[in-house]
Amino acid sequence: MTTTDNRISAWLACPECEAPCLDRQLPKKAELRCTRCGVRVKIASGRHSLQPAWAFATAGLFVAILANVEPIMTFDVAGDTQSNHIVSGVIELARQGYGPVAALVCFAGVIAPVLHLTAIWYVASACCLRRRWPAVHRVAVLIEMLEPWNLVPVYAIATVVAVVKLDMMGTVDWKAGALWILVLSLCSLCAAEAFDRELVEERLEALK
Amino acid sequence: MTDAARLQWAQAMVVTGIVLYVPANVLPVMTMTVVGTVEPLTVLGGVEELYDSGLWPMAAVVFLASIVVPFLKLASLSWILLMHGSPLAQRRRGTLRRVVHSIGSWSMVDVFLLAILAAVGQLGALAGVKAEPGGFFFAAVLVCSLLAAEFYKPRMIWQTNSEPTR
Ligand SMILES: [Zn+2]
Repeated sequence: MTTTDNRISAWLACPECEAPCLDRQLPKKAELRCTRCGVRVKIASGRHSLQPAWAFATAGLFVAILANVEPIMTFDVAGDTQSNHIVSGVIELARQGYGPVAALVCFAGVIAPVLHLTAIWYVASACCLRRRWPAVHRVAVLIEMLEPWNLVPVYAIATVVAVVKLDMMGTVDWKAGALWILVLSLCSLCAAEAFDRELVEERLEALK
Repeated sequence: MTDAARLQWAQAMVVTGIVLYVPANVLPVMTMTVVGTVEPLTVLGGVEELYDSGLWPMAAVVFLASIVVPFLKLASLSWILLMHGSPLAQRRRGTLRRVVHSIGSWSMVDVFLLAILAAVGQLGALAGVKAEPGGFFFAAVLVCSLLAAEFYKPRMIWQTNSEPTR
């Protein structure tokens, strides 16, 4: 239904409305905008390397392990203490009979962020090492689909709100996990930012 | 999937989302037990509690993320879907769709908050947090508006009635 090949000779299809836009060489930092909807069709970002994206994704994957293994906070009321992980919220919601909500938290808080970083790592590695790894194009599409689901930064905000709320009920203490969640959200944002789609396409084209 | 089917699915999702928006905001999302007192909290109740304790910047963030954003998302999607096929304001619809898409995920704050509080609030009668049906409806509204935006592709804004849909 949608055309998989965006390049029809010198015409580029607008990623938003699919209107054909005339391709041309751009000076540095200039961009080509769709004449119909105004969305950016192409940008000369001036980036030459995917190594930053690769580095952020690698770091992010390590931090993701720590963020999921280390406790986030401890909550203490009159001597009774409880600590939590991202996954313990999922388990508790499921135990209370809210399976679909638990699944949503698990997907947006654990599965999607890890898959997103893994996919960026895979494609960026293939480009940096100039290897023709299987299904690279499909993984590149997956990155775009997963990006809105990587909600670790939102989870970080929720952690802060939770600490504020719990502070009214008892004693809360930050644990290492909270810091790792913050680092993980920064890594995700930086990796996504440094992952230049056009550069990737160019590199993958050259591998063919 | 044909574009006509996509449009229908998107419409169904938005209508479902609007219907579920009511119980999501009226029913309590969780009950908090603090030293014997049981307190059911709606989404708005949670915001009020934050505001009362003097943390108004945080209250504002949660209010925007969990009440204003879902409402704006449903309202904009309804408008975009109602305008389908019309040649008017196409560019504005496209911009609105992108804005809504980029702020949409922030409403997950409340779902994550529920998960965190439920995980640490297991200290018996002293401090307990229990999820309530409101949380389920709230999550359902999020998923519905997300799917609606997924079904209705941005290029469909540019189809007009005179030009046959593919
Ligand atoms: Zn366009």
